[in-house]
Amino acid sequence: MIQYLLLLLPIISALVIVLSSQRAAKWIALIGSTASLIVAAVFAVQFPHWTTGGFWPDLNTSPILGNFGVDLKIGVDSVSLMLVLLTVFLTPLAIAGSFSAITTRMREYYAWFMILEASMLLAFMSRDIIFFYVGYEFTLIPMFFLISIWGGPMRGPAAIKFFIFTFLGSVFTLTSVIFVAVRHFDSTGTWTFAIADLVKFSSTQLSAREQFWVFVGLMSGFAIKTPFFPTHAWLPLAHDQAPTGGSVVLAGILLKLGTYGVFRFALPMAPIGAVECSTFFAILGIIAILYMSLVCWVQTDIKKLIAYSSVSHMGFVVLGLFALNPIGLQGAVMYMVNHGLSTGALFLCIGMMYERYHTKDMEQLGGLVSKMPVWSFFMIIFTLSSVGLPGLNGFVGEFLCLMGAFVAEHDQPAGYPGVLGPWYAVVAAIGLILGAMYLLIMLGKIVWGSLREPHGQEHAQDHAQDHGQSHAQHAEIQLPTDLNFREIAILAPIALACLAIGLYPKPLLNAVEPCVKDALVNYPAVIDQYNAKRGLVNPGTPVKQAEAKP
Amino acid sequence: MIPMLSITDTHADSPAHAVVTAIVNAIPSPELGWTGWILLLPAISVVLTGLCCALRVKSKLPGWITVLALAGSFALVLKLYFLRGDAGAPVVVHLWDWMNFSWGDQNKWHALQADVSLYVDSLTLFWLLFVTGLGTLIAIYATEYMEADVGKGYARFFNGVSIFILAMCTLVMADNLILLYLGWEGVGLASYLLVGYYYKKPSAVAAGKKAFIVNRVGDLGLAVGIWLIWVNYGTIEFNTLFQVWQDMERGVGGFDKSLIPYCLMLGAFGKSAQLPLYVWLPDAMEGPTPVSALIHAATMVTAGVYLIARTYPLFTLHPDALATVAWVGGLTALFSATIGMAQYDFKRVFAYSTISQLGYMFMGLGVGTTFGAAYHTLTHAFFKALLFLTAGAIMHGFAGQLDLRKLSGLRKVPGFKIVSWTMLIGCLWLSAFPYSAGMLSKDVILVQALGGKDHGFVWLGWIGLITAGMTAYYAFRVWFRVCAGPVFYMPGEETHDDHDTHDAHHDDHGAQIAHSAPAANSSHEFHPHAPRWAMNGVLIVIMLGAFATGIPGYMEMRGQSNWAQVMMAHSSAFAGSVQAHVTDAVNFGMNPHQLVELFGTIASLGGIAIAMYFHLLQRKSADKLRAWLLAHNSIRWIPVAMENKWYVDEFYHACIRGPAWIAGQILHFTDKHVVDGLMVNGIGRIPAALGRLFQPLYNGVLQGYATTMAGGAALVVAWVVYRWLTSGVGA
Repeated sequence: MIQYLLLLLPIISALVIVLSSQRAAKWIALIGSTASLIVAAVFAVQFPHWTTGGFWPDLNTSPILGNFGVDLKIGVDSVSLMLVLLTVFLTPLAIAGSFSAITTRMREYYAWFMILEASMLLAFMSRDIIFFYVGYEFTLIPMFFLISIWGGPMRGPAAIKFFIFTFLGSVFTLTSVIFVAVRHFDSTGTWTFAIADLVKFSSTQLSAREQFWVFVGLMSGFAIKTPFFPTHAWLPLAHDQAPTGGSVVLAGILLKLGTYGVFRFALPMAPIGAVECSTFFAILGIIAILYMSLVCWVQTDIKKLIAYSSVSHMGFVVLGLFALNPIGLQGAVMYMVNHGLSTGALFLCIGMMYERYHTKDMEQLGGLVSKMPVWSFFMIIFTLSSVGLPGLNGFVGEFLCLMGAFVAEHDQPAGYPGVLGPWYAVVAAIGLILGAMYLLIMLGKIVWGSLREPHGQEHAQDHAQDHGQSHAQHAEIQLPTDLNFREIAILAPIALACLAIGLYPKPLLNAVEPCVKDALVNYPAVIDQYNAKRGLVNPGTPVKQAEAKP
Repeated sequence: MIPMLSITDTHADSPAHAVVTAIVNAIPSPELGWTGWILLLPAISVVLTGLCCALRVKSKLPGWITVLALAGSFALVLKLYFLRGDAGAPVVVHLWDWMNFSWGDQNKWHALQADVSLYVDSLTLFWLLFVTGLGTLIAIYATEYMEADVGKGYARFFNGVSIFILAMCTLVMADNLILLYLGWEGVGLASYLLVGYYYKKPSAVAAGKKAFIVNRVGDLGLAVGIWLIWVNYGTIEFNTLFQVWQDMERGVGGFDKSLIPYCLMLGAFGKSAQLPLYVWLPDAMEGPTPVSALIHAATMVTAGVYLIARTYPLFTLHPDALATVAWVGGLTALFSATIGMAQYDFKRVFAYSTISQLGYMFMGLGVGTTFGAAYHTLTHAFFKALLFLTAGAIMHGFAGQLDLRKLSGLRKVPGFKIVSWTMLIGCLWLSAFPYSAGMLSKDVILVQALGGKDHGFVWLGWIGLITAGMTAYYAFRVWFRVCAGPVFYMPGEETHDDHDTHDAHHDDHGAQIAHSAPAANSSHEFHPHAPRWAMNGVLIVIMLGAFATGIPGYMEMRGQSNWAQVMMAHSSAFAGSVQAHVTDAVNFGMNPHQLVELFGTIASLGGIAIAMYFHLLQRKSADKLRAWLLAHNSIRWIPVAMENKWYVDEFYHACIRGPAWIAGQILHFTDKHVVDGLMVNGIGRIPAALGRLFQPLYNGVLQGYATTMAGGAALVVAWVVYRWLTSGVGA
């Protein structure tokens, strides 16, 4: 029953917050989310399938929507559990990071935050596709309010854009899901929305044409959420305008809902469609990596820079996913977790800076190491993690994603042929250079150099009272020049996690391994067929069906 | 038990075809687990100096912590060396699992194994010995050199040094290419942090950034090389890789395995500052001088040499691969020597000489004498560290003065005797003075080149000899200008108050006076700050070391086997029996040995003599010569181009950085106005317009969502119902 407790805790906290006072709200939120963290940790310790694969708990409950087979089944495998842990790890930190930044309507803010956590957990833990979809979609509502109430000056358009864009895409996702369910009903006569059943049915029973359209439908939602290259336009503004806590959750967890969807639904449900689309999506990933790196280079707003860099980084995940081999998928899952940690932490750092200077403009602000050495230390660590420095967490995922794409050839010897190949990885790897370039240029501006502060500002606190329309009417919480204990306590766990994963990623890699194998179970045969159609025969596994065709 | 080494030289006449058929199988040695402490001690030092940094320790404590840790590592390396001797078989020490997973069991491609394991053979030991040894000495030197920063950047500096030694030891001890990549990027990080040490100087920040980014270009090559190796051999662990590299005939569809050496080469050229990626090294001189000595002269920049020596068997995968290495090395040596001749900042002169000497090492690798390359790495590590440390002592003493026109006759300045004479030794070694260690190691390479038959290696040998003459000239140009001649000096304008290390310390010895009146440029008011025991002592020890590095060379000359050669021969760097085939080539009636002996001596002494004329005896004539060159339009481009470093930086800036930046601006514009403006805002207006039907303004938007949501849901439901009705299953 612990899994239901995990889901209910944030909801209960939200209710308690609504009934409590403004002053107590943040503490209740912090306690509630920490309790979720503890429960999730217990859950993770109890979880028996870390290295063997499979879902737990494997309960059969009766369908709650009568004949339509919709069923509140909660269970995780190790990939879901890793993302659940990421969620419950980042949420308390994001809440603690909002303590001094959120000074208005605190009850609502923290209540929405807890609801956001609950819906993310529902999406990651649900084994029923309808409940996944409910959680997936419901994240939009709290996030919409977080941006539109507590955001920056452009918060209205940002929230609208965020909402509409992601919502429109997911309509198609739902359509695909319903289509598969209907087809399942057509052929078996029973309704079900259980992920396992639908995946099994869809990947084996649907025709190539149907799979293609199912895949496209699923991807149109996930691609916007992730976001893939041309559908990223909602993200920079949403990040830019969101409050710190919102940005952290948005970049750290919400984006992973998209790639999690690809990993959990799109790839297993429609292997033929995925194989046919994989070069297309891989190229989109590469474009995202390179295009966004160049865009990052010319940003002057540090928060926008990190937001754009998220799109670039998700390009690596896309590339890893569409490598369609264990190395690439391992890398993609590792990258999801690591990107959540390092980018989440970067947004926290920027938030802390913003609370002191009320600007994110790197033209006005720079050389902060002389004034905020501790902040700079964390900033450097997380930037290097983002750059993909080996020894920190970012490297593991990035290297494996690229390596996966590199080895994804028709005659790949590892038993997992692919449709990409060395060129995809080599071109994408230019992103390694560009990534180092824009991130180090950012460090050079904001951290190193001689101190530059906004004009006429000696102390951030004075400034805050002069400017900052939305902040001026409230008594600012006085912040010291450098980070205070609370802020260090927020960043230090993430830094330790980055270092630990960088130096000892093996437990995570081992945990992902069986899930990756499950996700790829149909792929070698499908890819061999597809390649044979293109005249590329895998010498390892001769494809009889394809050879028979003229 | 020492396993046998069996060698067949199928194509011994061509070094590119030098083939090692069997490399000794590495023995897993858990009993050598203590070698992990070679890494752990610097790691502890990283943590402790980091704590010192956080606690703002106002003493030299972090310096001495680092010295102790590095000395401990060095002692362990020595212990390991004496335990295993010159020719010990490689051992593998597994520390912990790292990036390690598998997805099947049918063949070796079903797993990726990259653990934190150490591969210790004689090549590793060779590098470890001078990395930790010189590292310790330079750390001692730095305890004094950096003393003005005690309580400010002191702990940060030693933190960087510890990170560097940790990463460098990881690099040379790694048992697989991904761990090597970790060390590879780790030294890049240390370099980034230390070059940018004076973070208030924009040039230092830019230089650190440039070093990291240019190195990343090389790292890309290394990464692609690693992937290619895995695709072709199914392993990236050196031990198994060497076992299977020859049997495997597999080539991948897109890329052929003959590309492997070129990819690795690109990585090596980036890290070791060769054409076309050398541009970061001269700028890296913005870092504190001990860093230049340790990282950018003695150890880190030889990582590329190490990489090629370590993966030497793979360089036979393509017949032209080693020749490419040789030619890039030779041309780099010549090219950077021309720049080095025309620089006035003597730290930059030494920087270009480093690039040039690294070029010799690559030439050595390319023409087939890994012994020569490794041996030159060793001698170079000592004499170049010596030169940089003396340069640092001068900088330290003269408030950052680095212009060789503004210093003269230092050997007569009180307190600078040791500096001047150790610098002389360094310059002699650099200019390959007859029978110095620098000459002995360089000659091994040049003899091999002149004895080569293919790929124009003979020409390469001549390029090497000409470069040797130029090297002698610019080395002694510095020494004669700075240390010899009449006593004269102007203090620098520097540097100490650029990085807020001014304060009390410099009041003691008057640098402040120099600062307050830089226009006076007076040697009467300024009192140079002579180095004390830590700096002088280290200079003397390294000088003695530089003498000692001659020993293997003498033994080589007398035809005896020497430890450096034995160590190379018992590692993956063993290049077959190419050495034996050098004497038959004849030029001008002489064999390569005689040629190098004669022309090497002429080049060295000639270069020194010319430098003596222009920079000691007739200093004015140097200016006259320059004026004469500049006065003639047909040749004035030569000095101008040399002094401006052939405009390579400008070229890169205009051809790579500029267009990329413009592309960034255009893409940003596109993103903002086309993708965002048309697509998003266009779509975004639809629900708003719908919303207006219900309610104006802000709330209308939410209504719009409701409409969309409801509309979407309705469509979906309608479609499902339609499907359900038409499929007939429900009936």
